[in-house]
Amino acid sequence: MREKRWFPILYMFLVTAFFSSIIIGFASVTRGRVEANEELAFERAVLEVVPGVSGANLSNAEVHPRFAEMVEEPTASSGGAYLVKRDGHIVAYALPFSGQGFWAPIGGILGIEADRKTVTGIAFYEQNETPGLGAEIVKPPFRNQFKGKVLATQGKPLGMKRPGAELDDSTVHAITGATQTSTRLDVIINVALTEWQSKVGKEGTRS
Amino acid sequence: MTPPGTESQTRKIILTGLWRDNPIFKQVLGICSTLAVTNLVLNTIVMCVALVFTVALSSASVSLLRSITPRNIRMMVETLIIAFYVIIVDILLKAYWPEMSANLGPYVGLIITNCILIGRCEAFGNSNPPARAFLDGAFSALGYSFILLIIATFREVLGMGTFAGLAVPFFSGPAWDKWIIMVMPPGAFFMLAIVVWVFRWIQQSREEAKK
Repeated sequence: MREKRWFPILYMFLVTAFFSSIIIGFASVTRGRVEANEELAFERAVLEVVPGVSGANLSNAEVHPRFAEMVEEPTASSGGAYLVKRDGHIVAYALPFSGQGFWAPIGGILGIEADRKTVTGIAFYEQNETPGLGAEIVKPPFRNQFKGKVLATQGKPLGMKRPGAELDDSTVHAITGATQTSTRLDVIINVALTEWQSKVGKEGTRS
Repeated sequence: MTPPGTESQTRKIILTGLWRDNPIFKQVLGICSTLAVTNLVLNTIVMCVALVFTVALSSASVSLLRSITPRNIRMMVETLIIAFYVIIVDILLKAYWPEMSANLGPYVGLIITNCILIGRCEAFGNSNPPARAFLDGAFSALGYSFILLIIATFREVLGMGTFAGLAVPFFSGPAWDKWIIMVMPPGAFFMLAIVVWVFRWIQQSREEAKK
């Protein structure tokens, strides 16, 4: 049988089927845990942009109860943003955004105050950019820039300028050496923000 | 069952992997991951453990199948087996250590393309019994690991003043102006070059002393 021309094909097919089925089995066994981890990363990212909660310092066990206590699912009037409430009042909106980065999808949360124009912070729950370059988006020097920025009502809500350029109230510096990641992130954030603004209205009005 | 001369053979496999044909400073294989993951000691340790696991097991698996694998498709089979073990590691990290999985990012998946793996499968696993292939894989990967740990230690201590996240006296203090470049990509090139240089020099001078 081993001399037959079709033997290599059959052999490759069997070997592939064997190893693939082990992986499929293994992946389905661990799927629950992987999904729980992804959910945890998402909830932590939401808490990280909530003013007054240092989401990054919470232990894994603290994240979910805190999330359940403060955050409500998006409603029709929130334009897809999660509602962060304290004592029944909306203190902030947590707007999820996601899109294709340079290598892999980028997913994150942008926090916006109840006035619907001041940014409280940005956090990422998923990214696979180049370590040391694009992946710097998750580091404080980049993320802290967003705190206190005001969404522009004309043009792009949040602009990204080359490092060293002069900034105004609604622009931040991009990352040196990571032009691709920066421009893609710029697009992802602004698409999400523009859509959100069109749903909730541009001028900040308390609801 | 033990063939005569196994002990010296075992010793030879260990020495070859760790020293004589060290994957990093002698064969200069797997350099991409060496440059990428050595900025922090903890990342490096996890990468090395993953590599020992995948090289040893994939080489042993290739060896197990060597008598029935048709020669003309053996590279495909080897790649498949390597990918299988690497995906297992990737899933394990994602499920049980998501923070580390995020730290290592794409590099776990890229173990598949680490030349040490296919190199050991082709050069050794293909023509030796499974136990010996396992040993050869494990020690080649350990040879890779100890060089990586040396590089990572220098990079983290000089660049961040810490070792595996723990503050190192003096280097974490105000007296030491942290060499940030060491934890950035260029630092990897400097350290790798210096380490390869030093080890080759040691190896050469030992060989000359033997003559």
